[in-house]
Amino acid sequence: MVGRLQARRRTTRLGLLAGAALFLVIVLAAAGCGSSSTSSTATPSPAASGTGLAKVGGTITVMYHYPAPPKYMLDQFTAQTGVKVNWVQIGWDNLQTKIATAASSNTYFADLTDVDWSKVGEYAKTKWFVPLNSYFDPTTLKADVPQIDTFMANGQLLAMPFDASFTVTTVNTKLFSKAGITTMPTTLTEYTNDLKQIKAKGVVTSPLDIPFAAAEGLSTYWYQVTAAFGGQVLDANLDPAFTSPSSPGYKALAWMIDAYKSGLVPQANIGMTDYQGFTTEMAQGRVASVFSDYAGSVGSIYNVPSTSTVVNQVRYTAVPGVSGPAPSLANPDGVGIPVTAKNKQGAIEFIKWFTEPQNQAIWAGLDGAKGVIGGFPMPMRVSSLKMLASANKYAGASDLEALLGASRAEFPGTGAPSWYAQFSNAVYTNIHQAAAGSETVAQAINNIAAQVKSLKATQ
Amino acid sequence: MQRDHDASPRDGRAKRGRRGRWLPYILLSPLILFIGALSLYPTILTTVQSFYIVSPLNPPTRFAGLSNFRAVLSDPTIRQSWVNTALYIVIGVVLTTLLGLGMALVLQRRFRWRGAILALVVLPWALPAVVEAVIWGWIYDPTFGVLNSVLKSLGVITHYQVWVGIHRLLSIFFIELVQVWQIAPLAALLILAALQSIPDELYEAARVDGAGRWQQFRRITLPLVRPGLAIAMVQSLILSLNIFDQVYVLNGNAPNGASIMMQTYNVSFVNLNFGQGYALSLMATLATLVLSLLILAAVYRRVEF
Repeated sequence: MVGRLQARRRTTRLGLLAGAALFLVIVLAAAGCGSSSTSSTATPSPAASGTGLAKVGGTITVMYHYPAPPKYMLDQFTAQTGVKVNWVQIGWDNLQTKIATAASSNTYFADLTDVDWSKVGEYAKTKWFVPLNSYFDPTTLKADVPQIDTFMANGQLLAMPFDASFTVTTVNTKLFSKAGITTMPTTLTEYTNDLKQIKAKGVVTSPLDIPFAAAEGLSTYWYQVTAAFGGQVLDANLDPAFTSPSSPGYKALAWMIDAYKSGLVPQANIGMTDYQGFTTEMAQGRVASVFSDYAGSVGSIYNVPSTSTVVNQVRYTAVPGVSGPAPSLANPDGVGIPVTAKNKQGAIEFIKWFTEPQNQAIWAGLDGAKGVIGGFPMPMRVSSLKMLASANKYAGASDLEALLGASRAEFPGTGAPSWYAQFSNAVYTNIHQAAAGSETVAQAINNIAAQVKSLKATQ
Repeated sequence: MQRDHDASPRDGRAKRGRRGRWLPYILLSPLILFIGALSLYPTILTTVQSFYIVSPLNPPTRFAGLSNFRAVLSDPTIRQSWVNTALYIVIGVVLTTLLGLGMALVLQRRFRWRGAILALVVLPWALPAVVEAVIWGWIYDPTFGVLNSVLKSLGVITHYQVWVGIHRLLSIFFIELVQVWQIAPLAALLILAALQSIPDELYEAARVDGAGRWQQFRRITLPLVRPGLAIAMVQSLILSLNIFDQVYVLNGNAPNGASIMMQTYNVSFVNLNFGQGYALSLMATLATLVLSLLILAAVYRRVEF
């Protein structure tokens, strides 16, 4: 009897051990899913001083697609607020999947995470993020944070911009001047003619970079070209505004496809995403211009000697429009607090600190390389850009400061619709098909319009 | 207690036997728990939820009968991806089987450096699919890819080509080729194991009877290697039907190469329509099951020596 009991205990113990080992394996595997994890512990820094941040304590997990801010900065934050930061870096696509799966199952995954401009309508409908109006006043901030509107839906501020991202035209001035062009184009006609001249003179075989891979970057390119033709793709009621051949959206698509078929765009671009296009085509001097580039590319890609052969040759120019400069479209990333967050107050303090003017300038290089967040495109505050411009620490800061002030939301007034993801999918797949020759421009337009109508009817 | 002291050696063996009876279950329990939690439970959940509208953008979750299945079957993009997947399967299964068989026949012979070559051949199988897709992306690159360079220097093409992204069949072929490269070693190992179990006496007898190499291959090797071939083909079928990483890396979301798994991902995690995603997953699972059974019925034969 005693022996049996001992055996049973041993068995139970073995079972428990096996169970514990299995649990450990699962936990370790789950922890391993993140690509990297950095943790900051509280080490009071002499530089720490009160900047209106509350002492709330605890720990927050930030899940984001950018690398963590430098440790010395995180330590300052911890010293000021008592909040320890566990930073988990994860790729943008994977992050969106994690947000969707965790939020839809009402599960905690982070206290702070990415809110992309394109997800605002979706999150407003699903109520997955905490409105931030009580902590940040959009009206007061608008002048310094021009893109704050992008994160507004139904009067609610769902995130604070983390960076300022907007589309802007970049030109390789050396290649333009080789073709005899010394004045940069300000209208679409001038721009197209200049590209044709560069091609005709054999400076480069295909001077224009349009990333035709079926991916989000192709959709935003079309929106920007549509804005250059003087319109937007969806009207105020979110109905298609591109079905008429005389509409800016239709003309924009025809212009893009014609550019590809006439050889102004490299043939290889059919499978190229935007980032690939910037790094392999523009940064290697194989193309002369990107019509819809991202603000920050000059500093973060083209002027980086290790990856670029066109250092100091590329500059920003206002987007050429029908009769002069066209608006730049905003597509920033924001930081928001999931409703399942465990330390919401800590997360609020972190957003305040993360988006504070001086810190935004530091992420872009105000404090030298030691303060930079890798891949950070540009600060979301005009005041931060002014700091960088006066310290001469950021390529094209003055140009960008003006362009940032003039940038507008992709879907002004309405914000990105809740069905944006499906709409964008229809946009980029059909434009890709049109470039590949599987559809005509008219068919692509009709397919996209049909998808919009279907989405509006079902949601 | 007294009875315990007086227990005979036979009683002790019986007790140990009773305890021993449970041991396999105890040892297997972590695995059963693991499979149950990560495979069976999700399968049951997927089956049940595929009959519900589950979408955070269209709440609440509610019973929908067969509407999810009707929706995904009537969607032209999804129908196209089924056709694409069928092409992936045909190309994948045929090429993997032929390559695997060829490699196994070569590796069956004894030659110098055989062990090293075997280890090298297995290498692609050990690499993650995403890494392989990135490597092949460079090979296929229309601007500086090795494939273009080699073909141009051989005079096969006059100028660099875009291999993936324009022509549907060409795109599917080149994407699937990456997977074939990855899984052919596994097929080769499975077939090699079957080849090595064929007794040499059968070949000796055939030679004595005057059978040539081709006849030996047709009458002895091929029939007796069928269990290995069947398993290799089923493996290839499962991987081709579930192809995702290679498509995603090499062709993005382009419809001319999108597989059914790409659509399942898009429907579930981009469109946030989990109900339809469940329906697609269930259909893919059923397709895998039916096709696997068909292959086993057609190819597998029990072999005893």
